[in-house]
Amino acid sequence: MEPTEHRSAVGQLADDLRWLEDHCRRQPELATHAGTLRLASALTRNVIGPFLEGQPARPLHIAVVGGAGAGKSTVVNFLAGTVVAEANPQAGYTRHPTAFLPNGPAFQWPTYIGFMGPLNRLSGEKPANADEDVYQVKRIPAGKSGDADPLSEFVIWDCPDMTTWASLVYVNRLLEVAALADVVVYVASDERYNDEVPTQFLHMLVKAGKAVVVVLTKVRESDATALTEHFRREILGRLPKLPDGTSPAVPVIAFPQMPQSERTDPSGAGAKHRVLLLNQILMQVESEAATRVRTVTNAAKFLATAGDGLLDVARRDLAEFEAWKTAVLAGKADFEERYRQEFLSGEQFHRFNRYRDQLMDDLELPGAGRMLGGFIWLLRSPYRWTRDYVAGLIVRPEVFNLSEQTVLTASLTGWLDKLQAESLRRSSTHAVWKQIAIRFDTELGPQARERFNQELRNFELKETDELEQAGKKLVDAVEKRPALLYSLRSGKLALDLVAIGGIVYATWPPGWYLLLVPVAVSATHQATELAVRGAVEGARARVRNQRETLVSGVLTAPLAEWLAEWPATGGSSIEKLQQVLRRVPETIRQMEQRVKAKATEWAAVKPDSAPTATTTP
Amino acid sequence: MGRGEAGLRTNSHDDTMSDAPPAEPQPLLRTLAPLLRGLERQVRTWLDTRRRFPLTMLQRAELEGLADDLRRQAEALDVEKPLLTIMLMGGTGVGKSTLLNALSGAPIAQAAFTRPTTRDPVVYFHHSIRTDRLDPALRLCRLAQHDRPGLEQKIIVDTPDLDSNDLANRDKLKALLPMADIVLYVGSQEKYHDQLGWDLFKEQRQRRAFAFVLNKWDRCVTGESGLRPDEDLLKDLKDEGFSNPLLFRTTAQLWVDSAAKSGAWPPPTPHNLPEGEQFNLLRNWLELGLTRLEIEAVKARGVGQLLASVSRVVDGLRPPDLTAESEKVKEAWRKTLAVEADVQGEVLVGTLEPYQTEVEHHFSVEDQQRYRGLMAAYLRFTTRMRYAKSGLRDRIPFAGRLLPGAKVETPVEWNLGEFVQECARTAGERVLDQRTAALVNRLLVEGDQRGFPLSLLNDPTHAIGRMDWRERVTRAVIDSLAEVEREATNPTGWRRVLRGTLTSMANTLPELALLVTAGTLLYNFIVLQNVPGMFEMSLIGLVPLIVIIAVHLLILMLLPIRWPAIRERFRSKLATRMSEELERAYLKVPTDIAEALREERKQVDALLAETKVVSDFLTERQQAAQVTELYGS
Repeated sequence: MEPTEHRSAVGQLADDLRWLEDHCRRQPELATHAGTLRLASALTRNVIGPFLEGQPARPLHIAVVGGAGAGKSTVVNFLAGTVVAEANPQAGYTRHPTAFLPNGPAFQWPTYIGFMGPLNRLSGEKPANADEDVYQVKRIPAGKSGDADPLSEFVIWDCPDMTTWASLVYVNRLLEVAALADVVVYVASDERYNDEVPTQFLHMLVKAGKAVVVVLTKVRESDATALTEHFRREILGRLPKLPDGTSPAVPVIAFPQMPQSERTDPSGAGAKHRVLLLNQILMQVESEAATRVRTVTNAAKFLATAGDGLLDVARRDLAEFEAWKTAVLAGKADFEERYRQEFLSGEQFHRFNRYRDQLMDDLELPGAGRMLGGFIWLLRSPYRWTRDYVAGLIVRPEVFNLSEQTVLTASLTGWLDKLQAESLRRSSTHAVWKQIAIRFDTELGPQARERFNQELRNFELKETDELEQAGKKLVDAVEKRPALLYSLRSGKLALDLVAIGGIVYATWPPGWYLLLVPVAVSATHQATELAVRGAVEGARARVRNQRETLVSGVLTAPLAEWLAEWPATGGSSIEKLQQVLRRVPETIRQMEQRVKAKATEWAAVKPDSAPTATTTP
Repeated sequence: MGRGEAGLRTNSHDDTMSDAPPAEPQPLLRTLAPLLRGLERQVRTWLDTRRRFPLTMLQRAELEGLADDLRRQAEALDVEKPLLTIMLMGGTGVGKSTLLNALSGAPIAQAAFTRPTTRDPVVYFHHSIRTDRLDPALRLCRLAQHDRPGLEQKIIVDTPDLDSNDLANRDKLKALLPMADIVLYVGSQEKYHDQLGWDLFKEQRQRRAFAFVLNKWDRCVTGESGLRPDEDLLKDLKDEGFSNPLLFRTTAQLWVDSAAKSGAWPPPTPHNLPEGEQFNLLRNWLELGLTRLEIEAVKARGVGQLLASVSRVVDGLRPPDLTAESEKVKEAWRKTLAVEADVQGEVLVGTLEPYQTEVEHHFSVEDQQRYRGLMAAYLRFTTRMRYAKSGLRDRIPFAGRLLPGAKVETPVEWNLGEFVQECARTAGERVLDQRTAALVNRLLVEGDQRGFPLSLLNDPTHAIGRMDWRERVTRAVIDSLAEVEREATNPTGWRRVLRGTLTSMANTLPELALLVTAGTLLYNFIVLQNVPGMFEMSLIGLVPLIVIIAVHLLILMLLPIRWPAIRERFRSKLATRMSEELERAYLKVPTDIAEALREERKQVDALLAETKVVSDFLTERQQAAQVTELYGS
């Protein structure tokens, strides 16, 4: 796989997750999901991306997180072995993360595009309370002794808190670092350790598969054992599972409330506490490569398992979108029903009467045969008069019909009105409806009408054709086939002659009985006419059905499709949401596979230098 | 250290107040009680009335909460010596319980390293207060009595935390907060800035007095650089409008330890107190600073803030004035309804169209009543001949069913009601029902476009759409037909003159013609001795017949009763009638709503006026005790 391909896939996924996050923030009831989404996108950018690109495992990252005033900066100092972070009594003083590089040979600082997302690296120095989207990098000054730094492979991150009221603004900076970290040191004071907000944060870290070391600070020496036990039971006992399904093993260290002399001299007076801490951290780190592989694999697994959960935020939107589609389809059904009831059921398609007459004409004999035909026609006259009179008695005028144009226009107005009323009714329930309601009068309505009119022209073109063709086909079926035409004609003639001959023969000698001749001729003619009528009526019914299909196919179906998709077009959030929903699970799956492949690759190459668990001198 | 001085100032001021015998305070709070009860009743009545303009769940809950507060306040004030409830509020581990223990000098509230410690609130009160004087919600808490004279009128409540993993604690705290007169916001070096506590403070600050405690003061004075927590907190409070708040810096644990060691009361000052520790100030303020006068002032101020909240909430519930909108909507609807009525008229007439022969027949029969003699006989005969078909058709039993488009069978006898009902049913099934549903949507959309809230318009309009319109249509058709018939048979103006002339002609001319012909024949036979032939004899019949036919033709030409002639009149009558019906039904919807809302606005205004009366009463008589620093601006 080419690096550029990785890069675009990672970038795409990070962008998608970022967009989802913003989408959540815009909706108050979804705001709680925003943090998880931010973590997911940060994991993609800060961990998975560099790994796939082949960035080296070195350096590993330790993030120190915790509630305000819990003593994060003190813990950072203990990790660094000297006072590097400003410990400040003001709660929530630190507003952006600071990375502390070990004082060793300079290693390559990750240069991956998108690393740390929106946070820029500060070029100069600023106090830790600079409230900006930045991070700064400092170097730990050389220690007093020439001892080897046990954390020489690590970058130590001092992070802002997540509990103060100002943290809403900067908690995202914390999430960036937390995502980046290979080991997280979770600092909780005797006051804070059962607080809801930090505990939720700890849960999120465990779900993302981070190796966590807990430091309980400001513990009274006498309570230390009991408190650690209590913490294990109350807090650690309720942790969620790691991404690979195992329960997390989280070591706990207790730091007492230290006098200033110990606090400001981590590698001297406070060394006993420092050793404990370093040991626990190095226990979490088997080798650089293995640790990084674990971090990345867990991150990928977190994305894969949380994937559906991440997309949950979109469910509601899509459910409302589905509701809109249902409303559109219901409107379509109404439209077709109205067309059927108000127009089609009463429409007679008079043109067909013409074809009926034409067919009857065709059955008459041409040329000299006309004489005979005329004679028989004469014979039938009394019957014809009677029949016309009776028909006049029982045939009613046709039922009144609104014109097709009127019905179609009214039905369209009805459809659109129904949708608009529905969207107005529901506009207070969800943003999707609100968007529709707002843009109905200016965009949706006029566009739909315009579209309908175009389709209507199309429809009219087709319907005239169709009607004409159906009639023609009926006539052509007979006229274009001389064999059939002649056999029909001669059949009819034969029928007439047989009827006449039969009567004459049966009643010979001729007398009053000859009056039966016109009756017989009329009967044969009526039979023929019924047959022709049947054929024509069949065609008429077919045309009616076809017309219905045509309305549905040419007019309503395209319009319904357009209407149904309308909220998801024109760069709307639904459109983007659909794209994201399609893309994200697929990308996450690919990403997981690539990570797996790359991890196997790394496992094959044995790590050259692996720091082992050591104790400080 | 400006804050310490401020605290001291308050204190000394209160000392002077309690030293000098204060003027006998008016029983202000007690007089307030019935007023508050009355207001509460009004709020509840208002809540219970049905109304057009709906309350959201949130608004209703808020107002009900306020009504509860009004009742609670009324009960709390309706006593000789009102009690002041001071509630400790803060995150877990900041030392609320330790603070209460230090104040009481005894371990009455459990304090330990396990978090959260306090799960059940502790109520600390003087033994002279009978338990049943406590608010019912407080009676269920853990009760601890004492005999400290300085705290006689005060109840101190230790509450569960607001930020631990035990979410039930937060709910308990929120349930208790309405009982508080003064909230003691307890923070520590770690937690004074926490979001959960700060949000709750911001939510409650409009309603209660606030004083602040920064406990674990020893952890704040570390000697490190940077802004000290108390300065930081004061800055934030200033931004929130508390320019001069009461802030006490305490280290309660040291005082508890000292009390435990010495067993004396008050405990000796611990030797290792950090600089600027102010626990003693806090205790003095609670015991001495809050005198009866100040308690009354705090109570009165609390009532004032409660009334302000009631005003604010009720004011927010005032429905909009929709009079102008309703006029606009009516204007727009009238046009739409007129168009609709036109189409409906067209459809209905169209439905009657197949029965034009019957209608004509009906009219002719009616019309013939006014002819006499030969003309009448002739008309009876011709009518029967002309309309034989419609009679015959009804006698062929299956004709209606065999032929397309003719579902309705006309009864032999012209039964107008039944016939029209059938027509309306057919029209309804095929067209009108669907049009009515579409019409409702159209009207709603138009209403929205004119700025009328759809939520108000929706239900009533739909209800009207669901009314039995077929019944109305049937009546409209019958009435219109009857009217057209009346017009046709009883014309006015020149038509009346014409018709009178024609009628008298028709009634006289045929007989006259008969007489003249017969007379002429007789005269010829008798006087002129001409024997009449067959032709002459037949003239006796022919001449009157020709006259009759001529007159009849004249009548038909000048006063036609043909379907095409009545159709137009019938249609326009029907359209007018339908438009009246539609307007009567629909147009009252926006007017009704606007009217109802106007009425509801009046009710809201009345409630606001009532609240204002009570709060004016309060402002006029409020005591001038110094309690402003407990409230933000």
